[in-house]
Amino acid sequence: MFSKILIANRGEIAVRVIRACRDMGIRTVAIYSEPDRTSLHVRLADEAICVGGPKPEQSYLNIPAIISAAEITDVDAIHPGYGFLSENAHFAEICESCNVSFIGPTAKAIRLLGDKIAAKDVMRKAGIPIIPGSMTAIRDKEEALATARRVRYPVIIKAAAGGGGRGMRVCHNDVRLLSALMVCQTEAQASFNNSDVFVEKYIDEPRHIEFQILADKSGHMIHLGERDCSIQHRHQKLIEESPSPVVDSKLRRKMGELAVRAAKAADYTTVGTVEFLLDRDGNFYFIEMNTRIQVEHPVTELVTGIDLVKEQIRVAAGERLGMKQDDVTMSGHAIECRINAADPFNGFTPSPGRITFFHEPGGPGVRVDTHIYAGYDVPPFYDSLLAKLLVHGRTRHEAIRIMQRALDEFLIEPLRTTVPLHKQIFSDPIFWRGHFSTHYLDRILAERNDG
Amino acid sequence: MEKRRSSEREAFRLIEEVLQLMESRGLVELELEHQGIRLRLKKATSSPAPQLVEYVTGLPHAAAPAAAGGAKPAESTDRRIIIKSPMVGTFYRAPSPDAPAFAEAGQDIEPGQVVCIIEAMKLMNEIKSEVAGRVVEVLTENGEPVEFGQPLFAVEPR
Repeated sequence: MFSKILIANRGEIAVRVIRACRDMGIRTVAIYSEPDRTSLHVRLADEAICVGGPKPEQSYLNIPAIISAAEITDVDAIHPGYGFLSENAHFAEICESCNVSFIGPTAKAIRLLGDKIAAKDVMRKAGIPIIPGSMTAIRDKEEALATARRVRYPVIIKAAAGGGGRGMRVCHNDVRLLSALMVCQTEAQASFNNSDVFVEKYIDEPRHIEFQILADKSGHMIHLGERDCSIQHRHQKLIEESPSPVVDSKLRRKMGELAVRAAKAADYTTVGTVEFLLDRDGNFYFIEMNTRIQVEHPVTELVTGIDLVKEQIRVAAGERLGMKQDDVTMSGHAIECRINAADPFNGFTPSPGRITFFHEPGGPGVRVDTHIYAGYDVPPFYDSLLAKLLVHGRTRHEAIRIMQRALDEFLIEPLRTTVPLHKQIFSDPIFWRGHFSTHYLDRILAERNDG
Repeated sequence: MEKRRSSEREAFRLIEEVLQLMESRGLVELELEHQGIRLRLKKATSSPAPQLVEYVTGLPHAAAPAAAGGAKPAESTDRRIIIKSPMVGTFYRAPSPDAPAFAEAGQDIEPGQVVCIIEAMKLMNEIKSEVAGRVVEVLTENGEPVEFGQPLFAVEPR
C-alpha cells in the first residue's frame, strides 16, 4: 500500500481523496496555485506545495511543477482526481518513468479511450452496440454528407478528441451539416489540438445511462450498477441518480455485462465509467468510456455502500478486488445535485467571490461533498462547482423529498447558485414521474427565458 | 491534534518574541513568515505598544518549505526586493558541492546574473536575478526543497 500520495487537483475532489487517504493511514500532499492558498484541501493535507500562478497551465496542468513537487515530498503515488491531468496519457507515462504510481488506468488505455473514434472501433469489434455513423475521421464534405444520408438525419458532429460535452453540433439537414462541419473542426483544433471529427446518428429523446466499473490489475472486473445522468444543460450534467427510473433488473444485467465487456476490451484497470445512450425503444448504444473517478461517483457509493476512492487506491496499489459481481447489491435510491457558482436563469453566468454566510444541510439521508466554507473566496479561474448535494432514501420519492428539504436548508450567500433551479426541478411533476430525456433541462430553461 | 496544539503554543511564543523585538529595535511595522505562519504587526502612532493587525496561520502541515529566519521588513520603510522561486524543486547555492556560492550576503548582483540553481526533475535550472543591487540576506538554506513563490534572497536594489 502507498504510504504517501500527492493529489494533483483542487476543490471538492481533492478534499474527497484526502479524506479517503486519512481513513487508510496514507499521508497526503496537496498542490495548489497561488489563489488557492486558503483552499480547504491545502489546510487538510499533511503537506502542501505551491506549484504556480492562477491559470491552470501555470499550476494544475503544470506537469514539471507537479512532478517536482512529487519528488521533493517523496510520494509513492499521484491521484489525478477528475479533469486537469486525469485523462492525460502523457502525464501518466511521466509518472511511471519517475517511479511514481499514477492512480488510474495505463497510459495505453487512456490514449485508446480518449480517442472517440478508436474507442468506437474497439467496442464494435467486441460486439458492443455503437451508434451508427462514420468509423473514421471525416475527410471531406462528401464523406460527411454520405454518412448523414446513410444513417439518416438528425446527425451529430463530434470531436474525436473531445469530451465533457464540448465540440458537438446537431444537424438536421445538409446545409446545416456543411456549415457546422468546418466550425466543429476549427473548435476541435482550438480546444483539443486535434481537428478530427466524426458524424453519428443523433438519438432522439435519449437517456444518458452510465455504468461504474471497478477493475483490479489481475483482470478481475465488476460493475457497480448504473447512474442516470439525463438532466444536462448543453451536455453538462446537473443531476444524477441511481438506480435509473427506467432500468429494470433485466436491462441492468444486460447493460452491465456489456459495460464490463467494453472495459475488458480496453484492458481497463482501477475505476472508470462506460456511458450509453438509451433510446425510447429500449435500445442502447455505447458512446464513450471515461477513464477517471467521476464527479458523480458518490451516487453509486450511497446505493452500493462501496467507497470508490478507497477501492481505486487499493487496486492501484496492486491489491485484488475484494468482491465479486454477485456481492454487489444496490439498495434504496440516491440523487446528486451539482451546486455551481453560476446563475442558472441568466445563462449560467459564473458567480465567483467571497462567501459571507454558509450553512450546509444535514440530517438523515444527506451527504455534502464540498471544499467551501464561510469566508472562502471562490476564485474565478476554475470550474464553478461549489458542492455536491447528495441524498439517499429507501425509494425514489423519499429521496426526492429529502432533497427538497436539503435544498431549502442550503445557504451559500451572497453568491448566485444553481440551488433555485434544483428546487424548481424537484417540484416538477415530470421529474417526479421519472420520464424525461436529455432534452428536459434545456427545454425548461428555454421556457423560463421565454416566459 | 497534538501537533495542532503545540504549533499554536509555538505561534504565541513567536508573537511574544516578535513584539519584544519591535519594541527593542523601535520598529514601526514588521512582517514575518515562519514555518507556515505569516504575521503582520503595525505600531499605532499614538499608543506605545504595537497592535496585532493581521494574523494568518498556515494550519498544521509540516515541511511546507519555510523561509529560514525570514524577517521581511515592510516595503514602506525599506526598498528590499525579494527574489522568489519561479518553480518547484531543490535550492542549491552553488553549481557543485565544493564550488563557491553564486551569491552571498553583501554581494552585488546584476540583472541576468545567476544567483542560484533550482533542481527539478533531474534538471539544474539556473535562476537569474532580474534586478541590480546588493544581496542583503539569503532566505533559504542550501539543499532545501522550495515551492513556487518561495522567498530566496532579499536584495537592496540600486
